[in-house]
Amino acid sequence: MIFVSLNVSANSESANNANNDNWADEWADEPPASPWQVTGFIEAAHGQFLQANVSQKSTSLSEVRARVNIDYSHELFDATGKLDSYYDHVLAKTIFQTRELSLSASPFSFVDIKAGRQVLTWGTGDYLFLNDLFAKDWQSFFSGRADEYLKAPSNSVRTNWFYKAVSFSLVWTPEFTSDNYINGERFSFYSPQVQQIIAPANGFSVEKNHKSQWSARLKTQLNNVEVALYGYQGYWPTPQGTKPSGLSSQVSSQYQSYFPKLNVWGVSATAPFKGGIFNAEYASYNSTEDNQGTNDMIANGQHRLLIGYERELAKNLTASMQYYLERTKHYQALKANSQTPDQRVAENRHLLTLRLHYRALRQTLTYSMFAFYSPSDKDGYLKPSINYQYNDQWLFSTGANVFFGRNDFSFFGQLENNTNAWLSARYQY
Amino acid sequence: MSIKLSYKMIKAIKHSHSLWLTLSLFLACQSHLHAEESTISAIKTTPINITNKTENLAVKNIIDRANLASYYAGEDGSAEARMIIVDENGNRQMRQFTILRKDVQDLGDQTMLVFFSKPSNVKDTVFRVEKQLQSDDNRWLFLPALDLVKRISAGDKRTSFVGSHFYYEDVSGRNPNEDNFSLDSEDGSTYTITASPKDPQSVEFNHYVVTIDKQNSLPIETTYYDHNDRAIRKMTVLQVQEIDGIATVVKSRITNLNNNSYTEMQFRNVKYNLGLPDSIFSERSMRTPPKAWLD
Repeated sequence: MIFVSLNVSANSESANNANNDNWADEWADEPPASPWQVTGFIEAAHGQFLQANVSQKSTSLSEVRARVNIDYSHELFDATGKLDSYYDHVLAKTIFQTRELSLSASPFSFVDIKAGRQVLTWGTGDYLFLNDLFAKDWQSFFSGRADEYLKAPSNSVRTNWFYKAVSFSLVWTPEFTSDNYINGERFSFYSPQVQQIIAPANGFSVEKNHKSQWSARLKTQLNNVEVALYGYQGYWPTPQGTKPSGLSSQVSSQYQSYFPKLNVWGVSATAPFKGGIFNAEYASYNSTEDNQGTNDMIANGQHRLLIGYERELAKNLTASMQYYLERTKHYQALKANSQTPDQRVAENRHLLTLRLHYRALRQTLTYSMFAFYSPSDKDGYLKPSINYQYNDQWLFSTGANVFFGRNDFSFFGQLENNTNAWLSARYQY
Repeated sequence: MSIKLSYKMIKAIKHSHSLWLTLSLFLACQSHLHAEESTISAIKTTPINITNKTENLAVKNIIDRANLASYYAGEDGSAEARMIIVDENGNRQMRQFTILRKDVQDLGDQTMLVFFSKPSNVKDTVFRVEKQLQSDDNRWLFLPALDLVKRISAGDKRTSFVGSHFYYEDVSGRNPNEDNFSLDSEDGSTYTITASPKDPQSVEFNHYVVTIDKQNSLPIETTYYDHNDRAIRKMTVLQVQEIDGIATVVKSRITNLNNNSYTEMQFRNVKYNLGLPDSIFSERSMRTPPKAWLD
């Protein structure tokens, strides 16, 4: 009955309308939204190494995961919980992970506060991070988990201050949160100490660090250009230092990895340009425990520079390119003090990336290719994937992580035998 | 039920009759028409009388009024929207979102925030647009899972808006300077106008025919034709309501006539002239939605 009357006003458009009845008028009668919202998903994922690996595992990913998102909205604050529980067959254990457990509020008109466990992101790079030193999960990224998992949560207090068009963000993480770096439990890597690719089953010993880290950003928009200044005081997010373990007075052959101090400042700019988006970012990494670069056991400081451009090439096809430079600050000192100078990264590590993203079937089917290539390291990483959103509930994905390189010690080259293919099915509720 | 609805619609159309010059629809997403800013004062003060004008000017004025009615209602507005997307096999997807819009200038630039609430995989995703007539739109996307605000390139405006049959251009309006218009016919209640793109390579259609309601200036049906004069795509207004004295399309559909797949869009809780402050159209609102304006 309803659609008949609608069609009178709708110029007798009646084809295919019958199954539409239930959409006609009931929407306005919905009860007021509850302050509680529960969503989430259940996902099964499997990934396989495509060659023998010193980790002696054949699966790179094998898990069943349940996610529950709980949101509570109050007039004065919001509470959010995002809880993951999954059985990880690769590690043979059940893992509970809190991705978010936070309270957000705006106590004054000019400040927003979010406190608790949360994921934090800033900067302009695409899969490349200069001024974003918030925790990342490289194991998830290299195994084919959803992009969301590249960012790891930390327990932090974020305050955002606003004055006219300027915003200032200050993030305090009371206890340093490292990346979930490659440690052997899932993927193999090159050990400069033993000069070969290893995959210690239980990871390797890293000194814990409970000290705090600070991140800050000042951001504004000048005409059409978004500009930002960044600062970071904390530690290298991966264990870039090695020191003797145990008592320092003893001569010991035992060494332990740790997170050396790191201070970073940087700038970025983003602007529309010729129908696309141009971005540039710079960061100065100051490895303060090795200011002169003479200590082979601690990573040198770096200049990091990024230039990127993204635009739509054709309908539904978007491409983006990035040029990234990592320049070692005290290269001569590094080389002079290195025990393995021939295995050192080039003074200027160049990296090019290309992302192609094509959407078909009204955006339900997406083909994506992300490629890294370093002409200086002569290595690279291809990350193709296909996603099919069958309906509002079911998402099917497949992809691969292909690493290649001339040398075992280079950034991507060391991961060559971690090359894997994966697929996943997710039910969203 | 059907009687009540029809009555409401008739009432709405009658009421809107006297208001057609200054009032327009909130983000109706139905017309594909724009106008130049310079003509706005003329539209608002000069009644249209086709017999006294050259036809071209008359058509231009009709188009401008349609554009005003479709995309620039009030100074600002908010609405809840939902879309049902039905593919050729009858599979359905849904999108639900809330829109905040503010006009910088009537028939000119606009700024907009779109807060997605359903389905769960896009919940809390926020899309922000600064529509600019003189240059590419600025667009940003907030992805809550990554805490990432990403500036995105403007892109082809005739690509799907969030996977629906509505194009970005259907949502934000097609620039009238891209088409030539001619008045085909006119009856007691409607104008029928044919529009042909000035640059045929830039679009997937050869021309389109739009029927505009004389009383409220709303385009009520638009059909797109290919080079063989075959109808390929159709926008139909299914329901109009008067809200705050403004004739508002609250239900419409775009159908792909090649396979009869379609998207239907509904609005509810439509409000105009809220006095939205400029400051809420910012990155801050993407991370922290301005609750006061979203109820």
